[in-house]
Amino acid sequence: MYELLNRDEIRMLHVAAMEVMERVGVMIQHDGALKSLKDAGASVDDKKRVVKIPEYLLRETLKKCPSRHQMTARNPKCNFVIGGGNSVLTNAFGAHYVNDLQTGQRRLSTVRDLDEFTRLSDYFDTVDYVKPNIMPQDVTQDVLQQTMALSMWKNTEKHCSFLAITPEGWRDVIEMAKAFVGGEEEFRKQPHLIDTGFNNVPPLKYTYEIVEMMLECAKYRIPFDISTGALASASGPVTLAGLIVQGTVENHAAVVLTELAGPGTPIMWGSCGTILDQRHGTAAFGSPEDGLIHAAMCQLAHYYGIPYYGAAGVIDSKVPDAQAAYENMMNALVATLAGADVVHDAVYGIVEAGITGSYEQFAISHDICGAIKRIARGITVTKETLAVDVIAKVGHDMNHLTCDEALEFTKKHLRDEHWQPWVTDRTSRPDWEAKGSKDIVQRAREKVKKVLETHQIPPIDKDIEARMQEIIKRRAKKLK
Amino acid sequence: MSSAIYEELRAAVVQGNSERAKAAATRAIEAKVPPLDAIANGLAKGVREVGDKFGEGEVFLVELIASGKAMKAGMSVLLPVIKASHSKVKTMGKVIMGTVEGDIHSIGKDIVATMLEANGFEVVNLGEDIPAKVFVEKAKELDADIIGLSALLTSSMLKQKETVAAVRAAGLRTKVMIGGAPTTNEWAAQIGADGWAGDATTAANLARALVAKKK
Repeated sequence: MYELLNRDEIRMLHVAAMEVMERVGVMIQHDGALKSLKDAGASVDDKKRVVKIPEYLLRETLKKCPSRHQMTARNPKCNFVIGGGNSVLTNAFGAHYVNDLQTGQRRLSTVRDLDEFTRLSDYFDTVDYVKPNIMPQDVTQDVLQQTMALSMWKNTEKHCSFLAITPEGWRDVIEMAKAFVGGEEEFRKQPHLIDTGFNNVPPLKYTYEIVEMMLECAKYRIPFDISTGALASASGPVTLAGLIVQGTVENHAAVVLTELAGPGTPIMWGSCGTILDQRHGTAAFGSPEDGLIHAAMCQLAHYYGIPYYGAAGVIDSKVPDAQAAYENMMNALVATLAGADVVHDAVYGIVEAGITGSYEQFAISHDICGAIKRIARGITVTKETLAVDVIAKVGHDMNHLTCDEALEFTKKHLRDEHWQPWVTDRTSRPDWEAKGSKDIVQRAREKVKKVLETHQIPPIDKDIEARMQEIIKRRAKKLK
Repeated sequence: MSSAIYEELRAAVVQGNSERAKAAATRAIEAKVPPLDAIANGLAKGVREVGDKFGEGEVFLVELIASGKAMKAGMSVLLPVIKASHSKVKTMGKVIMGTVEGDIHSIGKDIVATMLEANGFEVVNLGEDIPAKVFVEKAKELDADIIGLSALLTSSMLKQKETVAAVRAAGLRTKVMIGGAPTTNEWAAQIGADGWAGDATTAANLARALVAKKK
């Protein structure tokens, strides 16, 4: 595993973050939250709405934040633990456009795309839980979050993380989750059926809406990730250490105010921060600095005893090309090797950093993440796997394809030892040419089409779906 | 003599050196160089050069910003003289920029503002969380050519729509351009904006086209 920082460096980052937290503070545009922070011992400038949190208050509230928590799914077979020692991978988030699977044309995304990307997420075993890959543009804002939630529930049995952008929309999604499990009481027993994620507004600010939605999560103990979105040299310092200090303070403010309101609320402490490309004024997610930030932030999260959630694997390239592949692999791998509890944006079905959904890239990234998961599993060293007896049996006159005992041994261990790619080409040249000399993008397109034709999800209960539809209708009416 | 001063002004801006730009502007006044020429042949020339290089990916944003500041520093010395002579600085046009109400993100908007300045526009950056009526009032008050509306949140995009409607309702001839991560060309068309830009260089080109259309 990859440990970027040594103990002294972690300590220096911590001390600097405490100084910023106590001396500069964080702007929180939510009077209720400011009041509870003040009551708990923080100093609040009511006029500027800036809160300065003393270190002792952070330490007290960190104690209330779980170091690991379960996430449940529609199908209990898909339940898993965050913070259990393995990296959990998710797909990408929020494309407004899609490169059409049939025509190849770039167009605005639709709910049908979200259906399909969610169904692919269900199919790909690299995706441990599902994020809204698509932000459909054919739905009005008032029912966007709710419509997306229903689409995802219908198209995967895995755990879903939903979009939360307005407090009323997010409350509707919670109501839909209650309908799903059979009422409020049931939902309070398993609030981890759903989760969501939030970003602050760097530098060092939180809006009313974000805080309101975090407090809504705290009310039920719904897990969420809080991810600093600072960009080095724009909304954060140019130095990576400085960016990490700022991100730490931003994340901590969310931890403190959430755990004060709802002790025990599972928080994944994260980052989608990266560098600003100073030559083009764009955020550079596929940069090596992005990977370094994840590796360091992960160490800090663990220093504070909280799971780490890194949006690592985002692709800047506009098309599923060699650049896309290297960007995706580099940072998803670094985050995984650094021990990130969740590698979000790993199985990245998007190109152009969150903007354009790509079916082909999703399939390619599935292979990339399959390889990453294999690397993360490492080498199993036991008396059995050291294979001395088999080596002796094969001796010098046979090989592992001719010796019976060796063949048995291979059959027994092959699936565990060797990862099998999905769209990667390892054929011989004659074979490759006979099959049409297709590149990985062409192969990916064909395979994805086949999955979408064949992979079906068991429908959700009709009455439950009707109740969810009712919640959506009610909101649409309210706004009229 | 004046060509040396122009060169000094240009170099100060290219270097992003505000002190040097101010000193050069003072020298220009002392040497009786017409201040409008000092701008056109010196300061503005420098900033355009840096802006073009930025467009080519040869200059960093931080350098572009420094050059913009140096130009403003030089202008601050020249402006009183220009005012006293009752002449006016010719710019590409006047742009009012802001992030719409309910959204406090600033980075993208500020980058666009910098780029517009580098392209010879006079930019009034209103800041963030700006209600529709403030855009309208300021556009009227300053007789702006263009209003630039930024939104980073999916939820605040609706305020772009509201602002465009308010500008139209007020009967202003001001062009409106929009931008921000969740926005699209289709969205701009849908809400009746005059244009959409996905990055700072495109925004500058768009602003130029909009001003040309207006004239």
